[in-house]
Amino acid sequence: MDTLQTLIIGFLSVVIVNNLVFTKFLGICPYLGVSGRIDMAFGMGCAVTFVVTLAGTLTWLIDHLILQKVGLEVLMYVCFILVIAGAVQLVEMYVKKFFPPLYESFGIFLPLITTNCAILGLCLFLNLWEIDSFIEAVVLSFGAGIGFTMAICIMAGIRENLRLADVPDALQGAPITLITAGILSMAFMGFAGMIG
Amino acid sequence: MEFLSVFLAGATMLGLGMVFAVVLLIASIKLKVEVDPKVEQVQETLPNVDCGACGFAGCASYAKAVVADPKLIGACAPGGSNTSEKIALVLNLQVSEGGAPSRPIIHCRATSKDKTFYASYDGIPTCTATNAQPNVQACKFGCMGYGDCTTACKFDALHIIDGLAVVDYDKCTGCTACAKACPRNLIEMVPFTHENMMVVACSSQESGKDTRQMCKVGCIACKLCTKKSDQFTMNGNNARTDYENYSPNEGTETAIDKCPTGVIVYRGKTAPPPRPAGQKPKPTAKA
Repeated sequence: MDTLQTLIIGFLSVVIVNNLVFTKFLGICPYLGVSGRIDMAFGMGCAVTFVVTLAGTLTWLIDHLILQKVGLEVLMYVCFILVIAGAVQLVEMYVKKFFPPLYESFGIFLPLITTNCAILGLCLFLNLWEIDSFIEAVVLSFGAGIGFTMAICIMAGIRENLRLADVPDALQGAPITLITAGILSMAFMGFAGMIG
Repeated sequence: MEFLSVFLAGATMLGLGMVFAVVLLIASIKLKVEVDPKVEQVQETLPNVDCGACGFAGCASYAKAVVADPKLIGACAPGGSNTSEKIALVLNLQVSEGGAPSRPIIHCRATSKDKTFYASYDGIPTCTATNAQPNVQACKFGCMGYGDCTTACKFDALHIIDGLAVVDYDKCTGCTACAKACPRNLIEMVPFTHENMMVVACSSQESGKDTRQMCKVGCIACKLCTKKSDQFTMNGNNARTDYENYSPNEGTETAIDKCPTGVIVYRGKTAPPPRPAGQKPKPTAKA
């Protein structure tokens, strides 16, 4: 019961309070780049969720079973990048084989997940937050992906409505998007301190 | 001790790298997707303008479809017969009929001066909106000149000149966007078997008397052209060219010269200018 509670709180915390996009400002490039249409945004969110869950789990295992055992935490960064790149390659091949339309609609963004800082960030946070149980690491990784999906979908929804809004000429395009992102971030600051 | 940690670091990285290499190698074999090299070759021959005239989402998906089903050769409107032949070459097929590239013709030749207006219109400046207003322009069938077709054209091949849409055949790719945009369906896609094609540049179905009152250059349904040449047929109160058996000859030249309102014109890259509006046909030299 106690574990379940920890897991639920951990999940909510990483989705809402410690959202990678809104509070850590990680993964901003797909957050601004792919949030034009809500269906694309959701697709990107799903891809990131999948990769981040896989990468978070694998890196936690490598971190705890190999690196910490031999005292080589210094290799953390390079190992994590290797794992993420490998996982993205694997996902790309899998999607290409079994979901060709999805693969075509992802286009360049699927390989770009490799360099998505939200994923490396989450892997490093797992180490920083000293998550010791495997199941918690999996749940937190999944939660980070869900948090990213939520952020990008909210942004896409706002931007779809923004197209109908009367935006001043000087703020058309990127400026109004950045302002929106800032206000959204501030709104989510309201959750800070709610869960540890 | 220092050597040991260096060795450990190297061994760890090497081990991890090896594991991922093996996993990815297995995955690349198991999850291999065979891509037909013909698809890429076909795509290279296409114009790659992604106009969608073929009915597919873009040139890439058309290429895939045409490799799977060679019957679709010829669906590429911008490419026309040249592209069809190139695709056939890639697919190792013989094309018996390339089919001429289709280009739009506009069934109206009335400029602002030739038309009659009952009122002036200050509303939304699009043809679709204007078309909803009765009795602004007398002719219910003529070009309104607000340029819905020019907006639809991605290739800058249509311009409104003196209140009449004019096709720039050098730039036109035949993507059919304009034909779909015209609310009065004045634009017809026609196979350009010759460089310049005869067009009955009117689509009015009014009686001859009414047409003459409304427009200086309308088809008054006198049926003269159908008597001079079998290239013309009547469609209600409007003559039209038979594009299926298109072959201009002396009869058609006489028909063009004799047309009382000069509504039969040439359209194409090097089309001669039409007879000025209102000019009477040349008198016949009696034999």
